Amino acid sequence: MNDNMIQCTGVSKSYRRGSTTVTPLEKLDLSVRRGEFLALMGPSGSGKTTLLNLLSGIDSPTEGSLVIAGNELARFSRRELTKWRSQHVGYIFQLYHLVPVLSAFENVELPLLLSPMSKKERHERVKSVLDLVGLGDRIHHTPSELSGGQEQRVAIARALVAAPPLLVADEPTGDLDRESARKILDLLRQLSREHGKTIVMVTHDPRAAEAADRTLHLEKGQLLEAA
Amino acid sequence: MLPFSYAVRNLFRSRSRLLQTVGGSALVVLLVMASVAINTGMTRVLSASGSPHNVIFIGAGSEESVQRSEVPDSSAEIAQASIPGISEKLGVRAVSSEIHYMNHLEFADGSRAQALLRGVTPQALRVYPDLHVIEGTFPKAGEVMVGRLAWRKLGVPAEALKLGVRVKLDGQSLTVSGIFAAPGTVLESEIWGVLGDLRVLSKRETVSCVVVRLDDPAGFPDAELFAKQRLDLELSTLRESDYYFRLTQFFQPLRVMTWITAGLIAAGAVLGGINTLYAAIAPRVKEMAALQAIGYGRGALLASLMQESILACLTGALLASVVAVLLLDGVTVPFSIGAFTLEVGPEVAITGIFTGLLLGVIGTLPPAYRCLSPPLTVALRSA
Repeated sequence: MNDNMIQCTGVSKSYRRGSTTVTPLEKLDLSVRRGEFLALMGPSGSGKTTLLNLLSGIDSPTEGSLVIAGNELARFSRRELTKWRSQHVGYIFQLYHLVPVLSAFENVELPLLLSPMSKKERHERVKSVLDLVGLGDRIHHTPSELSGGQEQRVAIARALVAAPPLLVADEPTGDLDRESARKILDLLRQLSREHGKTIVMVTHDPRAAEAADRTLHLEKGQLLEAA
Repeated sequence: MLPFSYAVRNLFRSRSRLLQTVGGSALVVLLVMASVAINTGMTRVLSASGSPHNVIFIGAGSEESVQRSEVPDSSAEIAQASIPGISEKLGVRAVSSEIHYMNHLEFADGSRAQALLRGVTPQALRVYPDLHVIEGTFPKAGEVMVGRLAWRKLGVPAEALKLGVRVKLDGQSLTVSGIFAAPGTVLESEIWGVLGDLRVLSKRETVSCVVVRLDDPAGFPDAELFAKQRLDLELSTLRESDYYFRLTQFFQPLRVMTWITAGLIAAGAVLGGINTLYAAIAPRVKEMAALQAIGYGRGALLASLMQESILACLTGALLASVVAVLLLDGVTVPFSIGAFTLEVGPEVAITGIFTGLLLGVIGTLPPAYRCLSPPLTVALRSA
């Protein structure tokens, strides 16, 4: 069995912006091991989020091969890709993107509603994940009743609850104070080390990158190993 | 599928928007219900007014207007003796000579209103078996009996036409001797007097028409043959039901106008509703994109948005139904030849609910398209 969770080979992504063609990623190769915590850094516009979107199946490459968890994503139809995403990828957004009218519990439950699972099993799973992120006592709070750090924990719980092998995080600490950011990074490291999750995190913050096993810099569509 | 509670709670994100959606939908549904009630009410009263058993002999060339028709006075007697199959009770044959006369009636308080008067003989009660004198008596000379909805058609208080009241027609004082009912027909809006009185008042030597009731509607060809044979009488033959059917066609433009007016107001309300739903859904582009990133398909999200707006629109439809029952049901609406009663029955209610449903679906599609059509990567970055 291949030990890599992510295998990108010659991946390029280009799109039209007005009359010009922009190529944020060009012939990019990347391998990420199962259970590895990878930080992606780089200046604005370097293609970090584009790469994250490709890895999570939200976007598709213009050329090249992208194999995630043993699946060649190019083979999937749009519908299959949506289903695959719900089972294999947990997405953590910078601004959490929680549903404001739902409680923390209901937000975390959302991904499980897509899979055939009994209500009892679903509720146990949601409670255990909320306990894992330290919010077992906040399950009935709505996002507006939580702090930024707590909201991000709920978002992480939501990304984790369907037990996907891959977590992608787009600047998960970008909108948090230092203490909250540290707790989130500790949690991500714990998820990688103790639960074997493969994590790819985009960040601008070198301190956040230090939490990762490996850091790569993306510049002009190419990846460079950090010194 | 997203939980139904998501759709329900989204409704309450902005109470003012919810009120606008529910109110707009209620307005449209109420208009549609009113239009259906008016159209069905008018059609019902006109189709119920004509019996297939009754044959009208009318002056040739005056088929469009009984009032202008001239039929020789002797026609009733000749028809009675010549046409087989005329309904008969206790030796009295159902043949009614009538004068239809439109003129202003003057009331005790000095107010005037244009009324449709019918000069008849007691034989008319044989021709219209569903007509019953419910108060007082059939009129004698110098008297009239009034249909129970005549006051509504004339736009006067009910007291202006109660028993014993005197009204004036062309300066002639007439006393209300009776009130009659002829359920569901335009006859209920008419005023009936004695044929002789009406002949004098309308200065006619002829009658407007002769109405004959046949035992079997299949006997109509015999009646038609009679008119063709008696060329000297210059008669044209019409089934009474056909006469009222023609009137239904005559009022078709009025009914079309009702629909157009309702349609225009509804279109405005629908556009307003779409605008409100835009305002409710458009700010959720990112939220929808995040749900797609989690694994929800566009179909599931569209279904949830549909649930949300259908729920709001059906609440409006329910509100409109309550208002319709309270304000429209049983209301009498006058029109040029009579009056009819609005009924908020199953047909009206089902049309209302269907309209609410349609509004919910149509209103969701444009904002949902705007919300769900951008590529996920663009939607996630949207402001």
